[in-house]
Amino acid sequence: MTTLPSHLQQTPTEFPQGAPIGARVSELLDTISLYLHIPFCHAKCHYCDFNSYAGMLGLREEYVAALLDEIALAGRRTALADGSPRRCRTIFFGGGTPSLLTNEQVAAILAAARSAFALDADAEITLEANPGALEYDRLDSLRATGVNRLSMGAQSFDPALLKWMGRIHTPEETEQAFRAARDGGFTSVNLDFIFALPGQSLATWQATLERAIALGPEHLSLYSLIVEEGTPLFTWVRQGKVAPADEDIAADMYEYAEARLAQAGYRQYEISNWAKPGYECQHNLTYWRNLPYIGLGAGAHSWFAGHRFAEERAIRRYIARVRTSCAEHESPETELQLPAGAITQNERITREGEMVETAMVGLRLVEGLDLVAFATRFQYDFFEVFGAQLADVSALGLVERVGDMFRLSERGRLLGNEVFVRLLPDSADTPIVATPR
Amino acid sequence: MDQRHIRNFCIIAHIDHGKSTLADRLLEFTGAVAARDMENQILDQMDLEREKGITIKAQAVRMRYTADDGEEYELNLIDTPGHVDFTYEVSRSLAACEGALLVVDATQGIEAQTLANLYLALDAGLEIVPVINKIDLPSADPERVAKEIDEVIGLRRDEMVLASAKEGIGVKDILEAVVTRMPPPKGSVEKPLRALIFDSKYDAYKGVIAYVRVMDGAIKPGSRILMMQLGTTTDVLEVGYFSPSLVPVKDLSAGEVGYVATGFKNVKDCQVGDTITLTAHPAPEALPGYRPAKPMVYAGIFPVEGDDYSLLREALDRLRLNDASLVYEQENSVALGFGFRCGFLGLLHMEIIQERIEREYNLDILVTAPSVEYLVTRTNGEVVSVHNPAELPPPNEIAKIEEPLMDISIFTPARYIGTIMDLVTMRRGEYREMSYLEADRVHMQYRMPLSELIVDFYDQLKSRTQGYASLDYTFATYAEADLVKLDILVNGQPVDALSLITHKDKAANQGRALVERLRELIPRQLFEVPIQAAIGSRIVARETVKAMRKNVLAKCYGGDVTRKRKLLEKQKEGKKRMKMVGSVEIPQEAFMALLSLEEKQS
Repeated sequence: MTTLPSHLQQTPTEFPQGAPIGARVSELLDTISLYLHIPFCHAKCHYCDFNSYAGMLGLREEYVAALLDEIALAGRRTALADGSPRRCRTIFFGGGTPSLLTNEQVAAILAAARSAFALDADAEITLEANPGALEYDRLDSLRATGVNRLSMGAQSFDPALLKWMGRIHTPEETEQAFRAARDGGFTSVNLDFIFALPGQSLATWQATLERAIALGPEHLSLYSLIVEEGTPLFTWVRQGKVAPADEDIAADMYEYAEARLAQAGYRQYEISNWAKPGYECQHNLTYWRNLPYIGLGAGAHSWFAGHRFAEERAIRRYIARVRTSCAEHESPETELQLPAGAITQNERITREGEMVETAMVGLRLVEGLDLVAFATRFQYDFFEVFGAQLADVSALGLVERVGDMFRLSERGRLLGNEVFVRLLPDSADTPIVATPR
Repeated sequence: MDQRHIRNFCIIAHIDHGKSTLADRLLEFTGAVAARDMENQILDQMDLEREKGITIKAQAVRMRYTADDGEEYELNLIDTPGHVDFTYEVSRSLAACEGALLVVDATQGIEAQTLANLYLALDAGLEIVPVINKIDLPSADPERVAKEIDEVIGLRRDEMVLASAKEGIGVKDILEAVVTRMPPPKGSVEKPLRALIFDSKYDAYKGVIAYVRVMDGAIKPGSRILMMQLGTTTDVLEVGYFSPSLVPVKDLSAGEVGYVATGFKNVKDCQVGDTITLTAHPAPEALPGYRPAKPMVYAGIFPVEGDDYSLLREALDRLRLNDASLVYEQENSVALGFGFRCGFLGLLHMEIIQERIEREYNLDILVTAPSVEYLVTRTNGEVVSVHNPAELPPPNEIAKIEEPLMDISIFTPARYIGTIMDLVTMRRGEYREMSYLEADRVHMQYRMPLSELIVDFYDQLKSRTQGYASLDYTFATYAEADLVKLDILVNGQPVDALSLITHKDKAANQGRALVERLRELIPRQLFEVPIQAAIGSRIVARETVKAMRKNVLAKCYGGDVTRKRKLLEKQKEGKKRMKMVGSVEIPQEAFMALLSLEEKQS
């Protein structure tokens, strides 16, 4: 295992791997994580189904203005009973390409967030960056705004595959961007990669991993390619122009990465995520522990007060909707007002549904689902609820109990869906989503 | 109308040679249906018929036509089913006519099915008027086609009408030929009633409607009638003709085509080919040619969800109301649970029933590979009929097995002779005759087991001949053969619904091909699944479905939870559509695997 140079050491995070949150879940359920969506891109990648748009950078200023208003609105609507702002533990700028924001815009957004929420002093603040859309010389001032973690979409170190994906950068630019991030003072950097790409060989994948390890990022996300509906890739696959990688090759690549990264000192903590100890992404852990989060910006999703809701996806319509919402006078008498200004979809999740979702996302963690936290949260024993449904996968060794944790076994990690699907209720008698009155 | 002014005729044509379009033009020309009311191909009323471009149920329509001789004629067009599965129905429709239009595509020529129906028409003594259709197409070669028709039935060139139904060319010539060349009906109004049933359908209000051609006598509402073959009786509720909707009249008399509303609740009481007479003055003798419906092909139909069994029974009961040739009995499969063993006239009939259950009754069903009826003589001399491989007695109790053989007839361009001979030989076909219609067109005749014919033979023939060959077949005889049962074991358990009866010499190869195909069709499970083929206790082939290695969502972040949950719900639905056999999930297609085997060139 390589030792990190001292200037790259970071203080251990609040809930590191192997330190389950247990009964403290109650306290965390009163906090939020904040996601901010920046939908602009220079170009749309062929596999991407995120809410992102190329050629609309002209709307950036108006968009940021709307986002600032919406943060204030969300702050008011999430305030605690005594009127004080709610604790916010993490902020994540996702996209799109958040690195297309100016440092001033990032600073303004963070200032708004600090005044709307009680932001932890050591809060993890992540910004996603495209190695091909990053001005190296402004990274130190970006760091100075409070952003303390960079997540870069490297995707591959194979030039041909990058081109095939429609990425706008070369392997060398990824390396330059990474070094620039270090020079700018970022001590916590993630690199995203995609594997099981059509035509990708195990050898190419191994080479990409080696170059990634050589850079020494604190965090790595490795995603098996998903062919999402509505993308050019989906069309190619359907037309038979592209053959997705087969199951065995994808499994070989995954298993290789598991072994190689362990050797290089990374610990896997989720199905697709690896980190050096203490550098797990706190923001994403919020999702996997099914804790509340507020997502603001075009197309962003939230999970708060028993509701899952999402915002208007189109940029112009989003801006218009937020303007209207923020102009309205709020009456404190009305029922719960959800903390976002452009909601187009909203579902109330039943208690049973919340249990299913908590288990579904919790099992993604390598440490597993925290049984104490589950019992504290729902007042039900996990096995009382799901034991029977999981009997067969349990007998087949896909899941296992270790102390107070229930997790996918090593083989089960690659077969997560087989386990997740069994968590779903059999009949409509136990709905996950409440039918509106 | 007096009989001299009636003409009853049908149209014989190969699929796509333009029969329905021509029928539409005739209706338009005679004003039977106003052009604005024309929905394309008015005679094919069932959705499935329109989709498949074939006629399944017979239809009829009456037209009025004032001919060049100044007289008005009543023309009854009977549209006959166009598929080999329904040969008997075709023969009854033909028996209701005095003439037939033989429609041949000017760009193609005579096909096997056309010729088979043409022979039926000639046997029935019909006057044939050939129509060479689609002469407007650039690739039309009417003279070549005319020569072919001459060769086959010996008609002169000047007796053929050139037409383009699509462009409306030749329609009047056709109507004139019908009036001048086809004879009027010859029955006697004075004789006791004899009406031929050429089709029937169930109507919720009027009960079973029999489509009839009155041969002798007359029929009117209120009469008590007798089905001479079945012996059932009823009172006539209504009689009328087809316009093509039902138009009541006060009577139908000798020579006329129309309908009789019988009040029967089930088409089984009123079968195609039977003769209607009056109970008061019965005819001494029924019309010839009646044959009870006899299934040729059998398959198991099972509900995917066991709970749907009673719904499936209801669907079959309802379909049988309108389809006397559908037979079924309860079947209990170890692998698939409760379902029905169904008998069909042929593969198309089977496909139609399957689709109607799925579409009209919205049931998820599973259909096993088709089988035929074997006659098994036990060692104790008892003869049993077996139409389910799972019911074949153990080998030591079998003295002999007989299987149905068919006479098949293939029309093909000469260049495909070799590949067709290969195919037929592989399918245990025996050569009977081959003749050249012209330099490049050959008529090949073989005798072949029906069991070999129903398993993908037609598709194979089409693919080997780029679609040029056409096929027809009729039952020939039962003959003894060296047959064995091939069992399939999945995860060590025999799956009865996958068993089949096959020739001893082919069994091992077929077993290998079948397990290979099943390996492709059965998705990976959480554990390794062996698939074996066995003859008796001897394993002849084995394949393994590897255990599943990877099935997991790579990403699940804040925006994904709802979407991914829905995706999983879909996966769960997908699992439901599979059949659990032991602990293995088997998809529906697997039970039809036999139909999609790669044919190994031998």
